[in-house]
Amino acid sequence: MSPTIQVPNICEFMNRHLVDVFETMLSMKATVMPNAGMPPLEERVTGSVAFAGEHITGAVYLHLAKPFANQVAAAMLGLPPEELGEAEVNDVVGEATNMLTGGLKSWLCDSGAECAVSTPAIIRGSAFVIEPVPDVLREWLVFDCDHNRIVVEIHVKVG
Amino acid sequence: MATKILSVDDSRTIRLIVGKAFRPYNVTLLEAANGEEGLAVAAREKPELIILDVTMPVMDGVTMLTKLKEDPALKAIPVIMLTAESGRDNVLQIARLGVRDYLVKPFKEDQLIEKAGRCVTLEKKPAPTPA
Repeated sequence: MSPTIQVPNICEFMNRHLVDVFETMLSMKATVMPNAGMPPLEERVTGSVAFAGEHITGAVYLHLAKPFANQVAAAMLGLPPEELGEAEVNDVVGEATNMLTGGLKSWLCDSGAECAVSTPAIIRGSAFVIEPVPDVLREWLVFDCDHNRIVVEIHVKVG
Repeated sequence: MATKILSVDDSRTIRLIVGKAFRPYNVTLLEAANGEEGLAVAAREKPELIILDVTMPVMDGVTMLTKLKEDPALKAIPVIMLTAESGRDNVLQIARLGVRDYLVKPFKEDQLIEKAGRCVTLEKKPAPTPA
């Protein structure tokens, strides 16, 4: 059976799933900002996890501004921010990206598009852009979380 | 005596979250970063419960669980699997392995405590007395 995955459906799933991950793991309320543009490229911590299968390939990037990434790590680990080093923050952002992509993988598999996921990787810096290769679609999903911006960037190639 | 619980996960974040969940209880938390280390700690410490991640480098959770069930000294230890994947096939595969329960990430600490409490006795630590 050939799967009928559409990119808007992936975005719709990810909109729900990010809200769920932040609510469940962090008790933080994230809200989708449907028509928001990409926020300024300040210094940030970006988690990335790739997925690949016969019918679909791509990657999920979770962009958080550095101060908010520290806040997220502190909330997830139940530790004061001053006790956290770069390694702890990287690990938390990587794990959050892993949960986002793990949920997407389950949804894709249940929709008939079996795939595998990579281990998480972290990019730190400012003013960098991740360019998709030709034929890969890119979608930005922007969320508000207590006046902080969460950006999920999805690169996907279906078929 | 404290209840010994082993957390096997390659993510330090998840091991810290598991530790945070059990902090109010009289629990000694043991940790391992992959299945191979997990088997070694289990053989040495004989934990009363293992909380086991599925996807890990070196030795994954499925392989560790299979080896655990083959070992007469360890096969009775209850195992709760932690997985980031909630897909039907993944859940069915986990269920077939003979785990006591499973938990899909993201999870609330209360859910972990509830599931662990069905496998082992969890005693709350006494509240600290004011100085």
